[in-house]
Amino acid sequence: MDVEKKHFTCVTCPIGCEIDVELKDGEVVSMEGTKCKKGQEFVSQELGEPMRILTTTIPIKGAKWAMLPVRTDRPIPKRLLFRVIEELTDIERRAPVKMSDVIVRDIAGTGADIVATRSMNREKKGKFV
Amino acid sequence: MKADVTVIGSGPAGLTAALSAHESGAKEVLLLEREEELGGILKQCIHNGFGLEQFKEDYTGPEYAERLIKEIEKTNVRRLLNTMVIDLTPDRAITAVNPEKGIFQIESKSVVLAMGCRERARGSIGIPGTRPAGIYTAGVAQRFVNIDGYLPGKEIVILGSGDIGMIMARRLTLEGAQVKGVYEIMNYPGGLKRNIVQCLNDFDIPLHLSHTVTEIRGKERLEGVVVSRVDEKMQPIGGSEKFIACDTLLLSVGLIPENELSKGAGIELSPITKGPATTETMETAVAGVFSCGNVSTVFDLVDYVAQTGMTAGRNAARYATGDWKKERPSVEVIPGENVRVLFPQRYSFQDDLILFIRSAKPIESPLSIDISPLEMHIKKLYARPNEMIRVKVPRDKLKDITESIEVNITER
Repeated sequence: MDVEKKHFTCVTCPIGCEIDVELKDGEVVSMEGTKCKKGQEFVSQELGEPMRILTTTIPIKGAKWAMLPVRTDRPIPKRLLFRVIEELTDIERRAPVKMSDVIVRDIAGTGADIVATRSMNREKKGKFV
Repeated sequence: MKADVTVIGSGPAGLTAALSAHESGAKEVLLLEREEELGGILKQCIHNGFGLEQFKEDYTGPEYAERLIKEIEKTNVRRLLNTMVIDLTPDRAITAVNPEKGIFQIESKSVVLAMGCRERARGSIGIPGTRPAGIYTAGVAQRFVNIDGYLPGKEIVILGSGDIGMIMARRLTLEGAQVKGVYEIMNYPGGLKRNIVQCLNDFDIPLHLSHTVTEIRGKERLEGVVVSRVDEKMQPIGGSEKFIACDTLLLSVGLIPENELSKGAGIELSPITKGPATTETMETAVAGVFSCGNVSTVFDLVDYVAQTGMTAGRNAARYATGDWKKERPSVEVIPGENVRVLFPQRYSFQDDLILFIRSAKPIESPLSIDISPLEMHIKKLYARPNEMIRVKVPRDKLKDITESIEVNITER
């Protein structure tokens, strides 16, 4: 079997190690450029199932702003990012919301919850008396 | 109105400075914010990666802000929202305006400048062509998408590979727009590596180095841009022009400190950082006026912004409470070989010297950061202009300095 070469930029921390990996039959035979153990873990994760935190927004009613920022509370498989976005299409909240409130549980079967990343109060509107 | 410490701006620098001034013993701390909420630009930076160093947590911008705001709310720091500072004098008299008080004066024993920075726009880079709708700075587009819920366009070209531009490339892709490419005039990227990986590579968005936009086309709405390859002097190469159809052009072409108030107060600005020159205490050339965060120099990481905020707040509290002695004149901190940006600009023998350094060019081989006249040589494997290097020089090593401190990057 030929040796397959792959290149990764570790994004675990801002240093961003440039890592060269050689694979034989899908197994890592050499790894160069990691400055710490986390780099090695990153590469094996990227080779298996790359995981990412997703951050996006959903509409909110009754608040000062139109959009509420949300995130997955843990990393999810990269290949599911767009599926999660799609499942969020019709999700909407009404103020008030507290930071870390769960908006959707176990989104798209990822095991991750979608949570609010900020609090938003109900905006008091003028009313005729 | 009177205060011990007045902080202007409530982004990460201002929030941290206000907290730090309070914790350092300043009794009346006043925090002024021109918007209707605290938090500054963090409110629209909904991506994660904030506070990894400071809190050992991977917060989003709003989470990072809310954590600091909750800390502020536990204190008696007085917060004035919708309050715009319109003038600052060299003797620290502040003129501000808000809907409740109209125009009013604040006398403050010390002042912390934390107004942040502005984005460079089309005017600063002079792109020829028509003036259609559809051209935005990356930060304005970020506000539209993340706070107001508007998509600025469907086919996007991004000029400049600053962090906000790359983050918007990902954001707009997730929201269904097609990002056709990021074009960078330099031969190296402008932003952090993690953003190249997670914002561009993850979504197969191409990054074209040594390219720029040389023409804008479209009458009412943008119809497309012409991009050209540039030579080593950053001049467009004739014959390399390529038309790219798009309805939106985002500019991520650099940030500059917000200097209106600083200029009015007669504060000396650094030609290198473009913000107020300060000592390691973050004091500017005007006594009792401190400066921190992106108003001083544009940082890559919020952790660095917060660190300067903490230093500024602590020293502003010392100044206000009379615990401020200058036993000897400060010395200059000078950028030498291979150093493009160096902050702070002076050393006043009061604290450790924490240097923030940007190299003049990418160096991908072992090098040493030499701090003379000290025999201090910090070895690094690389230096890149887009990644600020932080170096701490302990105070006791600096006590015998008499003339100036010079920082050089030497390739080994």
